[in-house]
Amino acid sequence: MRKKPVIVNYKATAIALLLLCGSFNSAKAQETDYKAYTLFIYNFMKYVEWPEAQSKGDFILAVMGDSPINKELQALASAKKIKGRNIVLRKCATVEDTYGCHLVFVPNSKSAMVKTLKDQTKDKPVLIVGEREGLAKKGASLSFVTEEGDELKFDINKKEIEQHQLKISGQLVSLGTLIN
Amino acid sequence: MSKEPLIVIVLAILVCLPWKMVSQTDSTAAKKDTIDFYDMSLEQLLKMRAHGVPNELEKLINSLISVASKKPLNTRESPSIISLITADDILKSGARDLIDVLRTIPGLDFGVDVEGVVGVGIRGNWAHEGKMLLLVDGLEMNEILFGTTQFGNHYPLDLIKRIEVIRGPGSAIYGGFAEYGVINIITKQGEDLNGISTGGIYGQGQNDYLHRNAYFAIGNKVNDFEYSFMGHMGDGQRSDQDYTDFYDSTYNMARNSNIKPNYFSASLKYKGLSYRWIGDYYNTSMKDGYGDVVPGIAVQETFRSTFHELKYVINPNKKLSITPRFTFKSQTPWSSKSYTGKEAYNRTATRALGNLTASYNLNRYVNFVLGAEYYQDKAMDHEDSSYFSNGKQEVSYNNYAFFTQGLIKTRPVNFIVGARYDKHNVYGDAFVPRVGLTKKYGAFHFKALYSNSFRAPSIENVNGSPDSLNIKPELTKVAELELGYKLGRRSIISVNLFDITTNDPIVYKTDSNNADIYVNEGGSGTKGVEAEYKLRFKKVNFSVNYAFYTAANKKQITDYSISNASSDTSALLAFAKHRVNFSAIWNPTEKLSINLNASLYGSRWAYTSVDSTDTSALEELPSTVLLNLFINWEPVDGLNIGLGCYDILNQKFNFIQPYNGYHPPLPGPSREIVFKLQYNLRFKAKNRKVVK
Repeated sequence: MRKKPVIVNYKATAIALLLLCGSFNSAKAQETDYKAYTLFIYNFMKYVEWPEAQSKGDFILAVMGDSPINKELQALASAKKIKGRNIVLRKCATVEDTYGCHLVFVPNSKSAMVKTLKDQTKDKPVLIVGEREGLAKKGASLSFVTEEGDELKFDINKKEIEQHQLKISGQLVSLGTLIN
Repeated sequence: MSKEPLIVIVLAILVCLPWKMVSQTDSTAAKKDTIDFYDMSLEQLLKMRAHGVPNELEKLINSLISVASKKPLNTRESPSIISLITADDILKSGARDLIDVLRTIPGLDFGVDVEGVVGVGIRGNWAHEGKMLLLVDGLEMNEILFGTTQFGNHYPLDLIKRIEVIRGPGSAIYGGFAEYGVINIITKQGEDLNGISTGGIYGQGQNDYLHRNAYFAIGNKVNDFEYSFMGHMGDGQRSDQDYTDFYDSTYNMARNSNIKPNYFSASLKYKGLSYRWIGDYYNTSMKDGYGDVVPGIAVQETFRSTFHELKYVINPNKKLSITPRFTFKSQTPWSSKSYTGKEAYNRTATRALGNLTASYNLNRYVNFVLGAEYYQDKAMDHEDSSYFSNGKQEVSYNNYAFFTQGLIKTRPVNFIVGARYDKHNVYGDAFVPRVGLTKKYGAFHFKALYSNSFRAPSIENVNGSPDSLNIKPELTKVAELELGYKLGRRSIISVNLFDITTNDPIVYKTDSNNADIYVNEGGSGTKGVEAEYKLRFKKVNFSVNYAFYTAANKKQITDYSISNASSDTSALLAFAKHRVNFSAIWNPTEKLSINLNASLYGSRWAYTSVDSTDTSALEELPSTVLLNLFINWEPVDGLNIGLGCYDILNQKFNFIQPYNGYHPPLPGPSREIVFKLQYNLRFKAKNRKVVK
């Protein structure tokens, strides 16, 4: 006897799957907590010393390109000061835009710019902070690392920091990992 | 204009107003919190997480575990197929013993051996005799005469902090008892206890009590010194049902199948130096013997073990750690007086082991582990002055081993390679390499693993092997592939495939003189798939898993197969080819949880009778569902009161012997009403300062 064909309602199945996926997607993926990154950057600003000439006026904090961190850094700039100085956030598109800035944050999407940034700001007193792991080895002064267990840590390229005429405090060094 | 829209608007304003006010208050508070947040100390900075405060699921899957690699890695990148069970999972499930906990893990199941002892099987394979390693805080629990572990009302569930299960081979790290898997139980130590913990369980079956246990623990950490002591005692029964052998002799198992745990543990730790002692005295009674009902009163059987461990973790610098470790265990398992059909068994075995392991982090991405191990086994027969094959009352063996592992983490993939070489003075050597690739890419992760593993012949295997047959380790090759995907922040799905091939398995036989012997013979193995889905919201947790195995196209051991009764030889004795576990937890409040869980078993094959020629006959037992409900309530901090019902449908699940040993299925407990109590008194409140 011929078997009765099984009718599969593909349309209904597809809709059900879409609804199911929709319900999953309603929950956000585990996103990067840029507030935590901002807190680290604030401490970098506090525990790194800039030359006398750059220790007056506003503290200029730059971000290369667009990044979700901008919102958190703006909140920081509104809420806090560095040794009595206002924090000013600057969004930069090119390396030239970063001239005159005290600290430059390089988001993941702009990691390739670190080498150019390093070369073109060689003798300038600027702290280059990379979001992507490993950037300290490629010329950033500091770069973030996510350890096993999701702990946020940072690598320190002391040689680069000194080349930029900056001094990093021992307290901050003890928290990070020296790569040279 | 109808008044209805107006009413709706007014109601909406009324409803929204208070929220708006709260929202404004929140906003002010939030601003203050933001300012406080930036003033965090440098020490607090070290606790920050890259992805914010993790939810329960993220905590679970980001847990660092070292059971599969020595070097701690998160569960999604650890180079084994891993299952993780937390103390909270155990508390909310109301599990009565380890069987309840472990049967919820895909691929894990239980069967009966002999004399009422229940052992573990994995992925369709009977792993009771030395194929599955059971560790408690790193100490090997398997008795070394046969390699077995005994399950059912044995270990103290309330004192377990976490259980890590490797559902695959672990020999490249752990040696000859980890051929098919590793169960690593981590118990609560001084810092976890931080005070006193006490409690118990009472379980009432249809005909008699089934559990009545109590435990007590104390521990704390004061500066660099940490101590703990715990005791767990009780009296349970394997079943309250009738057992009937192949010849229609029967008895009621109530008061004839006692399983009495007497488990004690003490630990002292000062900085890197630690000492651990465990006394495990597991006393049972039984009348099922080797299958035929034992006439007269129940036979008392004991499994007595003591364990010592002295360990010192030395860190000459941040990159290197060296750990010398000495353990000694003395075990008198399966000890009973003679009864009809069996002589008295009273043998003690000891193992003195020294292990030196070095772990070196070349940098954050490269780690090497190197180690050496030596142990000496001794066994003594307290009854027979010439029992052992050397014609003496005592026998001694020794084994040395070297192991190594390299872990390289790169952006595209983590690469792990390792191997272990063992050399035994009687049965020779075993070399087991392994290689693995793992990585998580955002929500997706994968693991591709290939391992060799081995089962070391136990003392009784070596002793029971005729010299002419020259027993050697059985070797297994396992390939595994896992794919996983996080569906949002609160759910994850993972699927894995496995293929196990064992060559020359050690099998039990009788020779022409009807004497017991062990030989390497034929082959065995299974392949299959396991899938798991977990969803964790604050109020609702849900998990479901599925496991399937087949022995088709694999060599089979005749006594383990069903080939003489079915043309479909893809199933093996005792273990269902298809298994589903399901658990739903509803937390109406923070203090109350209601857990409904179920284990669904597909049909299982068992020897259930003998024919007119006294040949045992196979039967396919129908599918079974074990449905359980448990409610846990914490009326005051530290006090947990639980009430539940196990096996609501009263299926009276039985344990099947996974080989043709003339032992009918052993009845399990009937429907059981369970009452649990747990009280934790903290010496001092933990620092609850929340970083973020």
